[in-house]
Amino acid sequence: MELLEIKDLTKSYDKKIALNNINIKIESGKIVGLLGQNGAGKTTLIKLINDLLTPDKGEILVNGKKVGIESKKIIAYLPEKTYLNKQMKVVEVLEYFKDFYDDFDLEKAKKLLLDLNLDINQKLSTMSKGMQEKVQLVLVMSRNADLYILDEPLGGVDPATRDYILDTILSNFKENASVIISTHLISDIERILDEIIFIKDGSVILQSDADSLRNKEHSSIDEIFRRMFKC
Amino acid sequence: MDFVFDNNIPIYIQLLEYLKIYLISGTFKAGDKLPSVREFANIFKVNPNTMQKALGELEDMKLIYTERTNGKYVTEDEELIKKLKDDYAITLAKSYFQGMKRIGLGKAESIKYLKELGD
Amino acid sequence: MLKKLLKYDLKYMLKNMSVFYILTIFFALTTRLFFSLNQTIIIQVISQISVGIMYALIANTLINTLMRSWLRFRDSIYKDEAYLTHTLPVSKNNIYDSKFIQTLVFFIAGFMVIILALFIAYYTKERWQLLKEFINTITTGLDFKPVVFISGFLAVVFLELFNAIQCGFLGIILGHKKYQNKTAFSVLFGFVVYLVSQSLVLAMSYVVGLFNESIMNLFKFNYLVDTNAFKLLMILAIILYVVIIFITSIICKKELNKGVNVE
Repeated sequence: MELLEIKDLTKSYDKKIALNNINIKIESGKIVGLLGQNGAGKTTLIKLINDLLTPDKGEILVNGKKVGIESKKIIAYLPEKTYLNKQMKVVEVLEYFKDFYDDFDLEKAKKLLLDLNLDINQKLSTMSKGMQEKVQLVLVMSRNADLYILDEPLGGVDPATRDYILDTILSNFKENASVIISTHLISDIERILDEIIFIKDGSVILQSDADSLRNKEHSSIDEIFRRMFKC
Repeated sequence: MDFVFDNNIPIYIQLLEYLKIYLISGTFKAGDKLPSVREFANIFKVNPNTMQKALGELEDMKLIYTERTNGKYVTEDEELIKKLKDDYAITLAKSYFQGMKRIGLGKAESIKYLKELGD
Repeated sequence: MLKKLLKYDLKYMLKNMSVFYILTIFFALTTRLFFSLNQTIIIQVISQISVGIMYALIANTLINTLMRSWLRFRDSIYKDEAYLTHTLPVSKNNIYDSKFIQTLVFFIAGFMVIILALFIAYYTKERWQLLKEFINTITTGLDFKPVVFISGFLAVVFLELFNAIQCGFLGIILGHKKYQNKTAFSVLFGFVVYLVSQSLVLAMSYVVGLFNESIMNLFKFNYLVDTNAFKLLMILAIILYVVIIFITSIICKKELNKGVNVE
């Protein structure tokens, strides 16, 4: 059974079609790059998997079951937005995650926050956006989930932070879990990808193993992407 | 240490290269216990699956072996490592001669340059 | 999981409302204090200011509870915080129930604070006696025990307001099915839902009236309200509002379970 299976998924906003009949299969233990330009439909797809949008047509199965309480137990999701209640202190947010997610590793989260020199008694409203995003990354990566979904985790950060984020992802995701990373910054991330999914104008135009694609095309994923997405 | 990877070449092939050099240079000696796949992946900052693939290749070449519960070890067969070293040295030497040939220098002359540098 | 959700919803409201509760009570105390002093002109002015602030705070307690319930509902189900709300491993029913109970609790709390504030500001033996007599005159005519009358009356007011809040919830849910002008549509739908619920109460009373003459008489203007009808109407109103509130909450949950579209 696939960890994630998406069948004939279609989603439109008003009359604009955002995703058009998408089919994807992702198995356990893979790091998958969801690659496409801004507005291609990456975030729409991710939001559908996380029950933040309702499909017009099609099905999303997580471990064979429809999106719901069971899928939410095993998916750790990092949205692009800062979504925590700003009135809360970091330590309260930790408690919140501990309360709701059985797989949340509180000690790990504390350690990661300590590495970042973050004071857990600080209120989120007094932190910069970048800091809040790091807190969110820590929260998500401190879960022992089966599927991590990270929406543009590298968007708009400096190279040092980029390295930190990639490191945190690599050294913290649970063994045999899968990770979906959406991004349009491919060169920074392609060395860690097992598989890639190219998404363009709401359609999946390619799903492939990363190394076989490199072998076949004799070039980097980044270059292949540029070629395929040339305007 | 930071490892640089060329995105045009499959990552596991580049990892394999790094690992071979570790064996040849004696960073890991015959019979040594190796770090786990995950530890290795953290060192190289790559995907554990890719790391596994590279280590798998090494295992196919009998340069390392897995003890079912204890992890991975470097082969005890020092001959094998020596052969790896020889092969690697020959490849390097060949590419040196090729480069020299391209600028019109024969083998004898090329060796002269080497000797001068060696002293 | 409902318990955990509720814990955080209540905590949030308490954090935001408690300061207003304390202020309301504080100005009720100052009002009483200044009125009990020798009424020089300055003291009179200060007393009036204190009364003014107290009433403003009383109004604020009601309006704030109302607005905060709606905004909190919208924010945690449709705004940025929805990214957390909908990815928690809890059912949509639990999410709704938690908001429902939270609103109920803080509405009751608000009511209590207001009553307490008025009591603190104005209680004297004589006034209490006066109030009692006033209620007695009404209730003897209506064949009611004063306590029953007061609690019945408060219950109707409370249920009526609570119904309005929940109509707002349904309005927000329906408004956010639209892709544009979500807030405007929320207000519009909320208003429509409220009108529908009020008409339903009226219609159901009428249906009951078909079987009960004294209720029917209320719909006919040429009859004087008889005491029996008033009592019945109060009971009827309470039952009808409870039914309406129950039905609306089921519709809300059903709509939520159809799925959301968070921006």
